[in-house]
Amino acid sequence: MADAEIIKLILQGDKEKFALLVGQYQKLVFRTCMGFLHDKDDSEDLTQDVFIQAYQSLPRFRGNAAFSTWLYRIAVNASLNKIRKSPMMLIKQQFDNFAGDKKEGELSVPLTDGEDPETIMIRDEHVKWVQRALDSLPENQRTAIVLSKYDDLPQKEIAEIMDTTEGAVEALLQRAKKNLYKKLAAQRRI
Amino acid sequence: MNCQSCQNEFDAYRQGKLSRDVMTSVESHLETCNTCTGIYRQQILAERVIKSEKELQPGLFLSTRVMARIDKLDNEHLKSAPSFARVLKPVLLSASMAAAIAIGIVIGNLQYSGSKSEKIPAELTLIDDAVIESVDVFANE
Repeated sequence: MADAEIIKLILQGDKEKFALLVGQYQKLVFRTCMGFLHDKDDSEDLTQDVFIQAYQSLPRFRGNAAFSTWLYRIAVNASLNKIRKSPMMLIKQQFDNFAGDKKEGELSVPLTDGEDPETIMIRDEHVKWVQRALDSLPENQRTAIVLSKYDDLPQKEIAEIMDTTEGAVEALLQRAKKNLYKKLAAQRRI
Repeated sequence: MNCQSCQNEFDAYRQGKLSRDVMTSVESHLETCNTCTGIYRQQILAERVIKSEKELQPGLFLSTRVMARIDKLDNEHLKSAPSFARVLKPVLLSASMAAAIAIGIVIGNLQYSGSKSEKIPAELTLIDDAVIESVDVFANE
């Protein structure tokens, strides 16, 4: 059954059909939330909130964009709001930004010479480096990189979700990658 | 190959999408440049962390939990009466109380005016409230 048909039935009072949309899109929403929160439980809670919000806003869904695009927008906004509202996350982000700026410069130090990336991966500390580096990116760069890397979306769809042009998304992604690797290098040297 | 052009090819290099010549150039550059090697390793690290997060799945009962919350929300919505009914209830109560009082007054007035119209017995007209009647008046009857 097509999304539009399911939505029509839900709006006519068959709310149980919403379970079909949840089943179809839960992974997509969860992945987006993970990209921002990096925590399974928090992401699951937020995924639920996103679907509740979508259900309540369904009468306002005009169908101009795909349902998934609309859902991505809700998920991105909910994730950004969650981060903004959490003082701990803000403090952490500010600290990371400060540390990142202070250490910005050339990237000269390899992570660990001769060490297999697989070994590096399993270290929690290194995972946290990446998460911190991602969290310290400006919101629009972070959104672009989450939609690109976590959701594997093409630039065209990212542009639609972020209500911008494909060119702007490309530039955002380039800056995001550059910043990400700079911040990773900076953290490596703290 | 300089650092910038080498770094521009990292994504394609990782995905194995480069031609043999370009791939050889990237590899030779990486062998001699610590900066690019560092960046390349950080890219791999970032990609792998993202991949590991992407592989996580939401709980099996997420859909059930969402639907349960929706049911709860709908029930709460039904329980809480609409705003006009919340206003109408005290208004109706006050109006019915006022109507009951008004009906009581009307009925009371009707009874009062009915009793007032009854004819006064002739003997009672003899009684003058201004003076104390002699007991004889009644005794003689």
